Amino acid sequence: MGYVWSWQVIVQSFPMLLAGAGLTIRLTCIAVSMGILIGTFFGIGRVAKNALIFSLSSIYVNFIRGTPLLVQLYLVYFGIPALIGIPIPPLLAAYITMSVNSGAYVAEIVRAGIQSISRGQMEAARSLGMTYGQAMLHVILPQTFKRIIPPLGNEFIALLKDSSIVSVIALEELVRKGYLISGRTFRSFEIWTAVAFMFLFMTLPITQLVNYTERKLKKGD
Amino acid sequence: MIETRDLHKHFGRLHVLKGVSVQINQGEVICVIGPSGSGKSTFLRCLNFLEEPTSGQIFIDGQEITNKNETDINKVRAEVGMVFQQFNLFPHMNVLDNICLAPVKVRKLPRAEAEERAYALLKKVGLLDKAKAFPDQLSGGQQQRVAIARALAMQPKVMLFDEPTSALDPEMIKEVLDVMKDLGREGMTMVVVTHEMGFAREVADRVLFMDDGMILEENSPSEIFTSPANERTKMFLSKIL
Ligand SMILES: Nc1ncnc2c1ncn2[C@@H]1O[C@H](COP(=O)(O)OP(=O)(O)OP(=O)(O)O)[C@@H](O)[C@H]1O
Ligand SMILES: [Mg+2]
Repeated sequence: MGYVWSWQVIVQSFPMLLAGAGLTIRLTCIAVSMGILIGTFFGIGRVAKNALIFSLSSIYVNFIRGTPLLVQLYLVYFGIPALIGIPIPPLLAAYITMSVNSGAYVAEIVRAGIQSISRGQMEAARSLGMTYGQAMLHVILPQTFKRIIPPLGNEFIALLKDSSIVSVIALEELVRKGYLISGRTFRSFEIWTAVAFMFLFMTLPITQLVNYTERKLKKGD
Repeated sequence: MIETRDLHKHFGRLHVLKGVSVQINQGEVICVIGPSGSGKSTFLRCLNFLEEPTSGQIFIDGQEITNKNETDINKVRAEVGMVFQQFNLFPHMNVLDNICLAPVKVRKLPRAEAEERAYALLKKVGLLDKAKAFPDQLSGGQQQRVAIARALAMQPKVMLFDEPTSALDPEMIKEVLDVMKDLGREGMTMVVVTHEMGFAREVADRVLFMDDGMILEENSPSEIFTSPANERTKMFLSKIL
């Protein structure tokens, strides 16, 4: 084949790639944090007896999970500004889209977590005179959060990888950086290999953490 | 103390309670016996509204709790303790926190006072040394005694027990029944669904025999066990005694 691997191009472009990875991590961390907030809220909504709360939560979750992230991003970045007449900066659009997207997936994780707690827990709490809210707060949710650490870790990994989609609105996260550098250097193989490994270095520790907590939780049960 | 009038409960098309009317007086220990599926648990769970009756009335201390407009069901439940077959301790809290949670959150008792009460109750059920243990570090019998202490910490007017010893290994049944016997002797009003006929005979003031969603017979334990009047009671007792 005659292709000569160049370490030099990797070394030279490394600072730029690292900056891209920084944005990738920032995007993902903020989106997942917001997602946990939003998702806890709507996850509780998904087990609510109140028909209105349940319906609203379900519509949100199903809409987000049933449409591509790319379309959601376009809707926020192009669609909403067209509607309201005010442009939304790319970074803000990315934060909003990814947070709202993550919220829906986390909501399903939280719902499943709540429903995995035995019914007797809620009944015991209620039989002691606690309100539904008190029982949720002090009895059900603390047990839920422990159980959903592994799926939350998986959601983090999924979102970290999916965050590359925001490169389409010119945000220079890791994939966009790779694209720019390889276009300039004509060193596609080195650059995309480097990008792949940088993703791997970010996801592997979380995979390990997920496996570790899964093992620990299994022992605890 | 507790009165039910013509209580009915449907689960969809299944008619589970078919007109249950009972009167339970202050300080009485009532045992409810009957075949599986006869509606004993459903009846008990209606008494603190874990199940909502389809029709009929329930009065606790003269207050009609089936009248939803005038009743705060959480307040009623705080006065009605319940002990479950599966204990249902909160696994993420130690024994002390399990007992203190409701008194602090519902009764707004200061933490120190709640703990004092908890320790007194733990002493009563013989588990003073387990205050800092977690539920999964306890045997079934110990967990059930903690569950009793947890319910008592709310200082309820009445205690409901749904087969409290059915999930226990035989050697642990006695320690739980002993706690319940003490409680009955101290004058606690108790409604106990149980298959422990020895307990019923020794402690109950009255035994209710339930079958097919109805109370077919009620009498003192000596009467009901030696000379049951109803054919179905006879058949049931002959099978289990
Ligand atoms: N939540 C529910 N939904 C539908 N059916 C129910 C529900 N709870 C109880 N049932 C049904 O109601 C009937 C009475 O049940 P219940 O648990 O009250 O009986 P039980 O006398 O306590 O029986 P056991 O001795 O087995 O505990 C059963 O046929 C049961 O399947
Ligand atoms: Mg039962």
